[in-house]
Amino acid sequence: MNCEQLAPLYEEYALGVLEGEERAELEAHLSRACVNCAPGVTRARLTVAQLAHAVPDAQPSEALRAKIMTAAKASDDASRTVAPIAKPKPAAPRPMFPAWAWAAAAALALITGYTIRQMSNQTAQLAELRKEMKIATAQNQALQSQVEMIHMVSSVMLSPDSMPLKLMPKDKNMPMVHAYLHPHMGVAITADQMPAMPSARTLQLWFVPKAGKPMSVAIFRPDTTGQIALVAPVNMAVNEIAALAVTEEPAGGSPQPTSAIAWMAQVN
Amino acid sequence: MLLAVVQPWPEGKQPTDSALMERILQRDSTALETLYDRYGRPVYSLVLRIAQHPSSAEEIVQDVFLQVWRRADRFQAARGPLEPWLFTMARNRALDHLRLKREKQRRREDPDSEIFPIAVVHPDPEGEIDRSRRAEKVRALMRSLPEAQRRAIELAFFEGMSHSEIAASMGEALGTVKSWIRGGLLKLRKSLGEAT
Repeated sequence: MNCEQLAPLYEEYALGVLEGEERAELEAHLSRACVNCAPGVTRARLTVAQLAHAVPDAQPSEALRAKIMTAAKASDDASRTVAPIAKPKPAAPRPMFPAWAWAAAAALALITGYTIRQMSNQTAQLAELRKEMKIATAQNQALQSQVEMIHMVSSVMLSPDSMPLKLMPKDKNMPMVHAYLHPHMGVAITADQMPAMPSARTLQLWFVPKAGKPMSVAIFRPDTTGQIALVAPVNMAVNEIAALAVTEEPAGGSPQPTSAIAWMAQVN
Repeated sequence: MLLAVVQPWPEGKQPTDSALMERILQRDSTALETLYDRYGRPVYSLVLRIAQHPSSAEEIVQDVFLQVWRRADRFQAARGPLEPWLFTMARNRALDHLRLKREKQRRREDPDSEIFPIAVVHPDPEGEIDRSRRAEKVRALMRSLPEAQRRAIELAFFEGMSHSEIAASMGEALGTVKSWIRGGLLKLRKSLGEAT
């Protein structure tokens, strides 16, 4: 189909209703950044989004605004660092004075010395707190990354344009690996109860094209609970992919498979 | 991360959406508040229509605005205005929620076990005065469509159904559903093209 034939379908594609041959044709144009279809679909998305106005007006609760602002602040606090507090400078030496001035100076020196020691202790405590905060920040960021990854995986899984696939294991004692192949959002991979892997080994996902050599997509390892969840970009047209395959490779992956296929699913 | 020094808004001037997003990139939380005050209600209305449950809708809206705060860099003014970008993000998240809920219901093999009350909304015929001309165009267009055609578009937009799913749901031929939706969307494109 040419651009002129595809133009009436832009809004349906943006709406998410297009299927089969029509969708595949339009996506083929989009995957090669067609100068007509790409901006056409972008405009169509703007048009279709206006359907949001065709709903009854509804008022959220008063509390929602505060919840959003609190969540935004919490999101920023996790990445904020505490500026170091400058150490106070020691008092300058004084010239000769009367006795009462010496006493006052001595008292002042004592107080200053005490204050300096206190502030040194506090500075040390602050350093310790900063260290703890860095650890908490790193943990929070790791958690946020996990949440974002789960959300990304869910988005791909639940998109109507995703193709669900089951990668069957060669070893029947191994669990199945699930894949969801979306032409634009990427390929999501999930699995449970995967056995632990030696640190010197990794799993590697390949696109096996209809013609040519396998293309590496991602390297991954099960987490401590035996789960896998990731999204990797799709860098070739979906209709050119013959199969998805997983092999076991040395840590860091290989340019081409070096072992037998451990999981596989036919795509086209 | 040090907070950027942010200049206050000039007195009496409402910031544009692009200006708000720039401020959000500079971590100005008042810009996020202004954005929510501007779009919170229409975004919530859309999400509620899809999710059909007020507490779920509020969670989704919170998620949407939090994403705006975290990933304001993803908005590109050159690709179009903010409103459709927000609506698209909200619709996608709401449809994800709807599909997940339905999947869970299917797994429990008790699809009718949960009945989610539709939020009470108060008819607000006067409220249309406050709506933008574009919103009025959309509503007028939807009202002008035959009921079946309007229903087909609603199933697509608010329930995320495909052509064949809509045809099955409405008991209509696939070709009929395609022509309804195609025709309705082309009218929408033309109507909004005239409005701009």
